[in-house]
Amino acid sequence: MSKHFVTLNVNGEDHDVVVASNKTLLDVLRDQLNMPETKYGCGTGECGACTVLVEDFTAINSCMTLAATMDGRKITTAAGLQKGNELHPVQQAFIDKAAVQCGYCTPGMVIKSVSLLAKNPNPTEQEIREGLEGSICRCTGYLKIVEAVDAASKAMAGTVG
Amino acid sequence: MSTRVLTEFDLLLPASLEEALDMLERERSAVTVLSGGTDLLVAMKAGFKTAKAMSLAHLRNLDFLAYDSGSGLRMGPRTTIAQIVDSADVKQHYPALWQAAKIFATPQLRNTATVVGNLLRGSPAGDCSAAVSALGGTLVMASAQGRREVHVDNLWVSYGVTARADNEMAVELRIPAPTKGTVSAFRRLTRVNEDLAKLNVAACLQLDGSTCTGARLAMGCVAPTMIRLPSAEAVLTGATINDDTLALAAEAVQQDISPIDDQRSTAEYRRAVAGVYLKRTVQQACGIA
Repeated sequence: MSKHFVTLNVNGEDHDVVVASNKTLLDVLRDQLNMPETKYGCGTGECGACTVLVEDFTAINSCMTLAATMDGRKITTAAGLQKGNELHPVQQAFIDKAAVQCGYCTPGMVIKSVSLLAKNPNPTEQEIREGLEGSICRCTGYLKIVEAVDAASKAMAGTVG
Repeated sequence: MSTRVLTEFDLLLPASLEEALDMLERERSAVTVLSGGTDLLVAMKAGFKTAKAMSLAHLRNLDFLAYDSGSGLRMGPRTTIAQIVDSADVKQHYPALWQAAKIFATPQLRNTATVVGNLLRGSPAGDCSAAVSALGGTLVMASAQGRREVHVDNLWVSYGVTARADNEMAVELRIPAPTKGTVSAFRRLTRVNEDLAKLNVAACLQLDGSTCTGARLAMGCVAPTMIRLPSAEAVLTGATINDDTLALAAEAVQQDISPIDDQRSTAEYRRAVAGVYLKRTVQQACGIA
């Protein structure tokens, strides 16, 4: 099996890693870079627990992405959203609205919400619900999550990212 | 089989199109080409084995999307579904493709999956495959020997099998420009939005007033491949689009389809809804929904 040398820029920091051809970005983040905040859910691109951002705001399933194809790419996980000690407005809104039950979907849900708001800073409730398709909360706590995204969009009004 | 661990394979990462075509010439059927990989990785996690996979991730300039009112739409093998959704030109001139892209899978998968990959997967359920079939697209295949064009009508051979030769790679998809009176639409039936289709339909009609002078109808999940609906097309061509002709077309669909029972639906149900969905799709295209 082939091995590949790649540099992954994760949360602003370059990481040089040798990855086997069959390792997904999720595998490498969790097992080689010890960044467990990105979760393994279904492994087939349906649940969104593994969602990360590439090149700023494009949300992808890291379980469906071969790590060897990501050389030189900029990746943001949920742990990379805060600036210093200040949480990202989306993270703060998830706390304020208690949009967390078991918490397993939360990193992917937060990342997805950041992506959604970057594209559409003032989404309607319907647009939030559509934008969050592909991220599944198995506790089914969607109402609080939608409220949190709405609150974050208001908190972020006039800012970028 | 595991959704966590991918089976072992060698990954080829060509840096140029020439290198990619050389690799295909050398490796032939040993290599599986992946573009977005959203179908292939799931298949590999479900047990599909390939000795080698060739990723197009390092190839530049293959994610283009360009519309010209004369020559139509051109896109590359790396052009994503998300790019289609974001294109005002596609939304305006190719409603069937835009509507298929809009509800395709999930936002994350739309950012990764490609239209050309959807066609070459050869699945009878591909949403963009239905749209491109109705819109009459053509794939440009390249090999170390040269290039050739494959019209979508000749693309799907059998389930999962396409007319792509094992030393070829699709380098462009072309869709003809609409003319005055060209309308199109796409509809899909699923249990929830993220699901693969139980049934999907795309229609592209040429209208002269309310008279249909040409029809390309495509339906998915009702045969081993995405299919055209020749019986229904024959009913509509030359006819005035109204409730009577639509009812006849809906009836004619039964002669064109051969659905089966599978995990997403049953043959009986698909037969029951095929005509209804065709009718609604044509109405949607004609703006009489």
